[in-house]
Amino acid sequence: MTDQDKEKVYEQAIKQAKNTINVASVLVLAGVVFMIQLTYFPQFFSSTDQNISAFDTTAVDPMVMTMDLDPTEIENGIHVPSGLIVDDGVDLVIRTCGVCHSLGLVTQNKADREGWKDIIVWMQETQGLWNLGATEDAILTYLANNYAPVDEGRRRNLEVLEWHDL
Amino acid sequence: MDKKNNSRRNFISKSALAAFAALAGTKIVFGENFPSELEPIGLDELETPEGIPGKSDALTILNNKPWNAETPPHLLDPEITPANLMFVRNNGIPPTEYDLEKWTLTIEGEAAQQKKTYTLKKLYDNFAHYTYDLTLECGGNGRGEFNPPAKGNQWGLGGVACTRWTGVRLKDVLNDVGLKSTAAYIGYYGADTHLSGDSSKVVISRGVPIQKAMEDESLIAWAMNGEAIPKMNGYPLRLVMGGWPASVSGKWLTKIVIRDKEHDGPKMGGQSYRIPKYPVPPGTKVPDEDMKIIESMPVKSIITYPKTGAIIGKGQSFEVRGHAWAGDLKVKAVMVSIDFGVTWQKCELNPPKNRLAWQRWKTRITLPEFGYYELWARAIDENGKGQPMVLPGWNPKGYLNNACHRLAVKQA
Ligand code: HEC
Repeated sequence: MTDQDKEKVYEQAIKQAKNTINVASVLVLAGVVFMIQLTYFPQFFSSTDQNISAFDTTAVDPMVMTMDLDPTEIENGIHVPSGLIVDDGVDLVIRTCGVCHSLGLVTQNKADREGWKDIIVWMQETQGLWNLGATEDAILTYLANNYAPVDEGRRRNLEVLEWHDL
Repeated sequence: MDKKNNSRRNFISKSALAAFAALAGTKIVFGENFPSELEPIGLDELETPEGIPGKSDALTILNNKPWNAETPPHLLDPEITPANLMFVRNNGIPPTEYDLEKWTLTIEGEAAQQKKTYTLKKLYDNFAHYTYDLTLECGGNGRGEFNPPAKGNQWGLGGVACTRWTGVRLKDVLNDVGLKSTAAYIGYYGADTHLSGDSSKVVISRGVPIQKAMEDESLIAWAMNGEAIPKMNGYPLRLVMGGWPASVSGKWLTKIVIRDKEHDGPKMGGQSYRIPKYPVPPGTKVPDEDMKIIESMPVKSIITYPKTGAIIGKGQSFEVRGHAWAGDLKVKAVMVSIDFGVTWQKCELNPPKNRLAWQRWKTRITLPEFGYYELWARAIDENGKGQPMVLPGWNPKGYLNNACHRLAVKQA
């Protein structure tokens, strides 16, 4: 091993240790928040408020924490910056599926749950997608519910956006 | 590391509240499965980057990372597709730095007599130059019409172009290196990088049987339409092998391997650029071993004039024209229908400028009376195979849709 290599290994080890500490401390913090909420504000999350905010599901399930989608960026049920349909798990999909490629690759495609699972497995086997762990179920549910195939027949009707005089 | 990644890291490590939200939303969610070289995406990064570098904003963007964009059919009207209108199908991230003095092409492989490296200047100085008009079509052009839907970018009609390529013959360079008698296939490697950020991952490395590589029109090209190749189309050097899925024409070319068997780089195997060996009902899961590599593309045509949605004055006749191509073959006839395929009118058809160039066709049409019509175009290749009017054989990845082009017109 050259010195440079050693340095890389050390760096790697420190990075991993930091990651572990991050994960642990956030888990503890979330746990504490959860306990406090359960004890003192048991009704806090049962509101029917439609706004999606950063923290309103954190304590419910720390595995599927949402991030703060700006409500002014939601039009007709679409989160405009990502182009995705707003539904449970949309935040997970933004975070996970927008890392390597644009989410346009998600919104263009339609498949049932099994089809989406196949796409994920293909990316894991060939494209460096990591194991999605406990988030996979929520991601698949979101994709299968919102980007399911529609039977288009053997040839669709033509759509004309703009008629013009020749 | 590029700028974007830097800003990602900043986003993650900056303001306290955002940091908590980001941390909460990322580290917990992804846990230890998340690779350390990546950062989860932040909402601030979702904005669409401005248009594709070097391309017209008239292109239809399918995907902005990696860039994938197609040409609306009416913009394919010119004989030669203008550089800023040629479609883009990137699988990864194009190189950002180009040192033309240092750019090299290496030829090696188990069926090469030797390993040899050429600078751009050496290629330019040592070999004869050739120019051909060559049709390149994405294997997945038309994918958007398959039912059940096929995975990938949902291409419409415009993943095709015919441009004027200049460079040296691949065979001249291969012969200069020397082929062993076992030479069976070539494969390319390019300088683009993988979307995952993993620098050890090859984005795509496809190729062709040696017979296709040795054809006169198979080029190692440095110019398109008399200028440098657009960055998104492979600057400064690429392979161009007309008539086959464009993915065999490697971009940002740095290496060619001469193989003694079918090349096995990423996207040669599995389901990529492959179709079932036998016809299957729509929606079938086909095992990898029952898939075969796509070679020559099938016969196809597009209507480039008029644009869909034209309203024609009563009693007026108008020109209908477009291009037709047929993979390795020539097109022998093109016809147009205004009555959903009940009757067909034969078109004038030009010969190709050279082998593997698309062919111009045209005719004049008069609509009989007030109402809605569809113009359908159908080409037939020199072996008598024509375009189907409905979707051709369904295949898992949605390749080779050569169903006839339809557009809508009305008589006022
Ligand atoms: C580690 C990087 C990475 C991540 C994260 C990732 N993908 Fe991909 N994905 C890829 C690559 C690389 C491709 C191929 C792109 C190309 O060839 O244009 C791809 C292609 C796709 C395709 C097209 C499939 C095909 O057969 O062409 C779909 C759909 C897709 N991804 C959906 C997703 C979804 C949904 C997620 C989130 C669960 C996701 N991706 C996360 C790397 C990734």
